[in-house]
Amino acid sequence: MATEHESVELVGDELVGNVARAALFAALMGASAYVSFPNPLSPIPVTVQVLVVFLAGIFLGPIWGGASMLLYLVAGAVGAPVFAGGSAGFGALVGPTAGYLWSYPIAAAVVGTVVHGGLELGDYRVGTVRLVGAMVVGTAVIYALGVVGFAYVQNVGLVAAFWTAAAAFIPAEAFKIAAAVGIVRSDAIAAE
Amino acid sequence: MLTYEPGDSFAHRLDPRAKLAVQIGFATAGLAHTTPLGLTLLGVVAAVSLRVSETSLLSSLYSLRFAVPFLVLAPVVEAVSLGAPWVDPTAAVDPALASIRILLVFLVAAAYVRTTPVRDSRAAIQRLVPGRLGVALGMGVALVFRFLPLLRRDLLRVREAQAARLGTERRLDERLALVAAGGLRRAFARADSLALALRARCFAWNPTLPDLQFSRRDVPVLVVACVLVVSVAV
Repeated sequence: MATEHESVELVGDELVGNVARAALFAALMGASAYVSFPNPLSPIPVTVQVLVVFLAGIFLGPIWGGASMLLYLVAGAVGAPVFAGGSAGFGALVGPTAGYLWSYPIAAAVVGTVVHGGLELGDYRVGTVRLVGAMVVGTAVIYALGVVGFAYVQNVGLVAAFWTAAAAFIPAEAFKIAAAVGIVRSDAIAAE
Repeated sequence: MLTYEPGDSFAHRLDPRAKLAVQIGFATAGLAHTTPLGLTLLGVVAAVSLRVSETSLLSSLYSLRFAVPFLVLAPVVEAVSLGAPWVDPTAAVDPALASIRILLVFLVAAAYVRTTPVRDSRAAIQRLVPGRLGVALGMGVALVFRFLPLLRRDLLRVREAQAARLGTERRLDERLALVAAGGLRRAFARADSLALALRARCFAWNPTLPDLQFSRRDVPVLVVACVLVVSVAV
């Protein structure tokens, strides 16, 4: 064992709480890779993952929401079965969906910044227009990076990348935005 | 599902940092040399890494089945156009080579996943990422591994409860919201008790980690990693 001998320095109380929440959110993100619903609009099933990205930004704020998604990526890279269908490993971070995966921390931070009006954690119960706007911007970030990532990794043009890796998934995002608004409005979560 | 399995293979006894270096070198070299010759040489490296880690090719391939539609579709979509000449097979060559490259990177990554326990990965992260950021990252990764099965079960329970009460007849956004809100409540409750337990046990910046030491058997692996990175410049 690599024991350290200097005096023990405790982690601050606030930081402990934030690290615990970020880790649990990352685990929730991983667990949602196993959950999918039939899509009424297309044969491709809807997964909950992008919804969890939105919720990370909304409930944890831009900094810790982004951090939790980063934790999710690192845990997956070193072997936690958290990527699509329970796969794991560094390969996914440079694979066809790499752009999507890398966009999650950025999208969570963007959604958090718009909802909380800055980097500080404020009240997430904001107007519906602002909430939806934040998630629309988040969705745009996810798909822009997803398409560019796919085009780069697969060596195809942007148009082909859009039709292969994005077009079929975009309509379902409306359901996820509606679901996130529903969760925030229902007061089902009292996270203070 | 591909996951860590205890064993006594050559790769099991390597330092996790050496294995991480090979993966990064392999992915970088693959991007620089997506050519038939480059991919043949990288294919040899991938085959050797599967061999020394005693990882089955079939289970590795099975674990990446979700990426397969993209790997197949990309060359097809690039080759087909909405007008004469309709199909241009030469346009599919580059995307097809890229698909092979991705497949090889997945195989090398599978060898790491199969042979590296969580505590070693965590120790590697804390040594590679300097300072408190590394400690927090290592700790967070260990917690994700610990809580993933619990939250999976939580989400499954919400879904089963939903199905038992004809919740499957609801509109999609309502179903999504119910499952996500259930998962969120469980995650927050678990985070609160975890934070309390960490405080009660004096969660510190200097935890005890397993000892990691480069040994002689890591030397060839590190050399391979360096060669792969340097090959980018060739």
